[in-house]
Amino acid sequence: MTTLDGLAQGLEVALQPSVLIYSLLGAVLGTLVGVLPGIGAMAAITLLLPITYYISSQAALVMLAAVYYGAQYGGAVASILLRLPGTPQSAVTTLDGYPMAQQGRAGVALFTAMISSFAGSMLGIVILVVLAGWLGQLATSFGAAEYTAMMVMGLVAASTIGEGRPAKSLAMVVLGLLLGCVGTDVNSGAQRFTFGQVQLMDGINLVALAMGLFGLAEVIGNIRKAERDGPPPRVSLRQLVPARDDVRRLFAPITRGTLLGGFFGALPGTGSTISSFLSYAMERRVARRPERFGKGAIEGIAGPEAANNSASITAFVPTLTLGIPGDPIMALMLGALVIHGIQPGPMMLEANPDMFWGLVVSFGIGNLFLLILNLPLIGIWVAMLRIPFRWLYPAIIVFVCLGVYSVRGSTFDIVMVAGIGAIGYALSVAAFSPALLLLGFVLGPLIETNLRRALLISRGDPMIFLERPVACAFVIATLALLALPLVGMIRARRAARA
Amino acid sequence: MPGPISGPTPDWHDLAWGAVLALTGLAVAGYAALHYEFGTLRRMGPGFFPVVLGLGLAGLGLLIAIPALNRPGQVRPFAWAQAVGVIGSLLVFGLLLDRIGLMASTALSVAISSAVAPRGGLLWRALLTLAVTALVWLLFIAGLNLSIPVWPWSR
Repeated sequence: MTTLDGLAQGLEVALQPSVLIYSLLGAVLGTLVGVLPGIGAMAAITLLLPITYYISSQAALVMLAAVYYGAQYGGAVASILLRLPGTPQSAVTTLDGYPMAQQGRAGVALFTAMISSFAGSMLGIVILVVLAGWLGQLATSFGAAEYTAMMVMGLVAASTIGEGRPAKSLAMVVLGLLLGCVGTDVNSGAQRFTFGQVQLMDGINLVALAMGLFGLAEVIGNIRKAERDGPPPRVSLRQLVPARDDVRRLFAPITRGTLLGGFFGALPGTGSTISSFLSYAMERRVARRPERFGKGAIEGIAGPEAANNSASITAFVPTLTLGIPGDPIMALMLGALVIHGIQPGPMMLEANPDMFWGLVVSFGIGNLFLLILNLPLIGIWVAMLRIPFRWLYPAIIVFVCLGVYSVRGSTFDIVMVAGIGAIGYALSVAAFSPALLLLGFVLGPLIETNLRRALLISRGDPMIFLERPVACAFVIATLALLALPLVGMIRARRAARA
Repeated sequence: MPGPISGPTPDWHDLAWGAVLALTGLAVAGYAALHYEFGTLRRMGPGFFPVVLGLGLAGLGLLIAIPALNRPGQVRPFAWAQAVGVIGSLLVFGLLLDRIGLMASTALSVAISSAVAPRGGLLWRALLTLAVTALVWLLFIAGLNLSIPVWPWSR
């Protein structure tokens, strides 16, 4: 099938009223949670996960994706006006966005963020289509050994590249892998760690785990943190109009940011947050006068905003073509697909082309909608910034309870969410990453199955991972990623001694 | 953004969690080794993955705990009241939903969780409780028609 045919089919899917409505709804909800203090895209997607049981798989995925990229738009608003990033991806935007707002150029900063997000997304879609086709082709030759090695590499990359001590991150991944073992073992039928509880036979519910780790833990941590003093500045539509000079300075940073984000978004383990930081560093390096950065340089908004939006689109590449989520949000997307009985992977482009192309086209429609919607609605979003978190969180808690309950009508699951939430909050206070735990949880059963299969094929010879060139490359990359923090530690120690 | 404030040595957070994770790993590996078949590399049994991962977790736990022994930790505020309020609100909802119905458990849950809000008086809490309970009725009973006992007497 050619790209053009695919796009035509995707347009048909994405313009179905039932899909279109959920796409627009997701985009608005995403912007809202991005703007609102104390709730991020992760928590919002988690809260919406139970709804996806009741709608078509296309509508479900399109909606969740729209929440994700919508939150990128909304996150920038809080970053620029209050120096409080609504989402981690928009943290960099505070660096130059907030100074611009203080200089009375909040409108221009907001316009820059939105137009850069839009351009980044649109170009990201092109990268997604190209990479997905290419990777899908490549992945058809992958066997169990390649999949195992690639997933392990993804988990190690996510642990060592992100922030925090690598040992703590790896421990969360392993804990997640172990939690993934709970329930009936698909290969032998054995009951593992169920302790005779019927409710645990299907394993720990993904919705319950995600709600506890993200919904609850975030709420607890934010009740006091999200109390704000002082109202944000007022912004009118007229202030959004940039000067010609501003517009001229946007093109290069947006292009660089998009390419950077598109690349890193598609890699497992790195994601939109890292690419926005990298883009900021890059813009400062190539700038003729780097001292302007941090004092309201428009390039410092354009690059990172384009990068994180582009990355959030290309993050779908490994999820859809390999069935391997690169970050926890993608893990939830994968979960939503699996709920509907669709196993993403190299065959998906062949078996469910409507799903892939529908999603691609919906990205375009959703982003266009966000651009058109958000410019005139900016006043409303700014007003939303004034809502105190204490008005919201009691309702969020009730929604969490009902969301979990609605999955299979079990109050046991609500109690389990409470327990997971308590542990999740304690872990996050001690700077352990609950996101990595979720990633391990989702990938655990996949890794175990593929590992078993690979070793069965090789008759128990672990050399299969080194004999097959692609698998071997993944193994070498994994070892290099593990060695990276060690090298850093040795250097730091030498420097301390000298 | 303010940097982390250095606290006392050792780093209690990492020390305690490292120890907990190491013990959890050992317990899981031990339990799995005793109860599930380990198998061979050629035919991995159901015990293979948990045992290997459990031992890995134990090792990582030690890697976290040991360096923490002589390193200053960071002061990390733990929101006790908020944690207890939120978790308690959830437990009350989960344990009472089948017994007293959706409306009463929602109201109770909101009353508990809003009690730990940093600001706002009694009147605000009462109004919020009413508003959220009404919203839940509108969304889930009038709107989505969720099959769930609504009132304490409607079972």
